[in-house]
Amino acid sequence: MDVAVHGVGTSHFGRQPDRPLIDLAWDAVREALADAGTDQVDAVYVGTVFGAPGVAQRVLSALGITGIPILTLENACASGTTALVEGHEAVRTGRYGRVLALGLEQMSTTFGGAIHPESSDAEGLAGLALPALYAMAAHRYLQTGAATAEQLATVSVKNHAHALHNPRAQYSGSYTVEQVLGSRMIADPLTLLQCCPTSDGAAAAVLAPATGGAREIPVRGLAIRSGDLWDHRSPHVWGYDLVAATAALAYEAAGIAPGDVDLFEVHDAFTIGEVATTEALGIVGHGDGGKAAESGRTAVGGASPVNPSGGLLSRGHPLGATGLAQVAEVVWQLRGDAGGRQVDGARIGLVETMGGGVSGIDGNACVVAVLGA
Amino acid sequence: MSQTTAVPAGTDPRPRVVVRGDDAVVAGVRCTECGHPVAFVRPRCPACRGPVEPAEFGPAGTAWSSTVVRIPVPGREPPYALAYLDLDDGPRVLAHLPGDRAVPVGTRLRLTAPDEAGDLTAEEA
Repeated sequence: MDVAVHGVGTSHFGRQPDRPLIDLAWDAVREALADAGTDQVDAVYVGTVFGAPGVAQRVLSALGITGIPILTLENACASGTTALVEGHEAVRTGRYGRVLALGLEQMSTTFGGAIHPESSDAEGLAGLALPALYAMAAHRYLQTGAATAEQLATVSVKNHAHALHNPRAQYSGSYTVEQVLGSRMIADPLTLLQCCPTSDGAAAAVLAPATGGAREIPVRGLAIRSGDLWDHRSPHVWGYDLVAATAALAYEAAGIAPGDVDLFEVHDAFTIGEVATTEALGIVGHGDGGKAAESGRTAVGGASPVNPSGGLLSRGHPLGATGLAQVAEVVWQLRGDAGGRQVDGARIGLVETMGGGVSGIDGNACVVAVLGA
Repeated sequence: MSQTTAVPAGTDPRPRVVVRGDDAVVAGVRCTECGHPVAFVRPRCPACRGPVEPAEFGPAGTAWSSTVVRIPVPGREPPYALAYLDLDDGPRVLAHLPGDRAVPVGTRLRLTAPDEAGDLTAEEA
C-alpha cells in the first residue's frame, strides 16, 4: 500500500523552559491533525530521547488521545524519524489505517549546556562529549585537506541565513565566515556558531494510505539502519559510512538517484556533519562537501539546496523532534508553502537524520526518507 | 586536567590498562579466526563472531584525529585534549593527551599510565 504524509505540524523551536511539554506537543499535534483534516488516529509512534518514562502517554492523554496503541521509540537524534519509519510501516502493511508520528524533547530543563556524555559508555565516561566526536571528524577533514576551516564556517553562514525566512527557527542571522570562526571555541576546531543549540520543541506528521489528494505528500522511499563497527579499519569519519549505506537503501527503495532530489534536510548538528553528509548522500563527491557550501551550490538558489529550514544549526535541535521537523519542512517545500525560503519547483525532497552516542559503532541509527512524487 | 569520575566497581566501561615498567598497554582480546583486535574484553569477536583470546595492544600508535574539549562536562574541568589513537597492529582507542593542544593527524603517540580519573592517556612519542 502506498503511504502519504497527510499533515504536518510543529511547535516553535528554542529554549522554552517555561512552556510545558504538553503545550509544545499540542502546537505540533493540533497543526498536524488540522492539516490532515482529521481528529482521529489509530496509533501513535513517539520519538524522544531524554523524555521521562511514560512521557508519551502523559502528554497525549492531556491532549485527549487515549485508548489506542502508543509506542515510544528511542534512537538518539534519529528518534523522530524512527517514529516516522515505524508509523509508515504500520500503514503500509495495513496494521493501522491512520498513524500519528510525534517527536518530543525538552532539553533546556535537562541540560544547562551540551548533552552530558553517557557514563555507561567507554568514550562517554572518558569525556567524549558529542561536540568532541564531531570535532574529531572536523580536525581529520582539515588535516587531510578534505575541507578548509572557512568552508566549514560557510555552512553556518548559509544555514543561519536560510533561517532568516523561518519564523519557527531558534536562531537566524547574517553572519560572516570571520564571525563564525571568531566565535567561542567549543571543541577544536568547532566554534560556537558551528554547533547546534540546546532546544525544546515538538513536531508531528499524520500518515495514511495515499489517495492522490492535492496536499498529500507521498512517501517515496525510506530506510533505517544502525552503524557497523567504527574502528581502526574505517577509512571515513564517524557516521559517514552509515549515512552512505542508509542512503543507498533509501535511493533504491525510492527508485531515484541523488541528482533527482530537489532539496535536502540533513543532520547538521555541527557544520562538519553537513559537509560529510552531503558527500555521504552522494550530492557531491568525497572531499567536495566543503567546496559545495563555499560555491553556493547547497544554498537555496543553488543546484542542491541543503537545509533551507536553517537546519539543526539554526532551527534548533530538540533531539526527538528533529526528524519530524525535517519532514515538516520537506512537506511545506513540496507543497510550495515555504515562503521566503522556498526552493522553486521542488518535487522531491530528502530527509536524513543521524543519531550517535554509542562508541565503537558508526552511529546508533540513521534514517533517510525520500518524499514527493 | 581531568578529575576523578566515580563509577561503581566492576562497571567501568573503559579499556583496561596494564602498566609494566615504562610501558602501558591495553588488555583486550584478539579474534583467533580473523585476527580482529578489540580494546575491550568481549565474549566473541564483534567483527566476525569468532572466538577470542586475551591480547595486549600498544604502547605505540598513530593519531587518527584529535581535539580539545573546551566546554563543561560533568566531573571534568575543561580544557582537555583527546586523540583517537590507532595502536600499532591494534585497535583504535580514545586517549587523553597532556596540555590543551590537538595533535596533528599522523602524530606518533605512546600510551602512558592511566591518570587519576582512570582514563587512557598518551603522549607524543
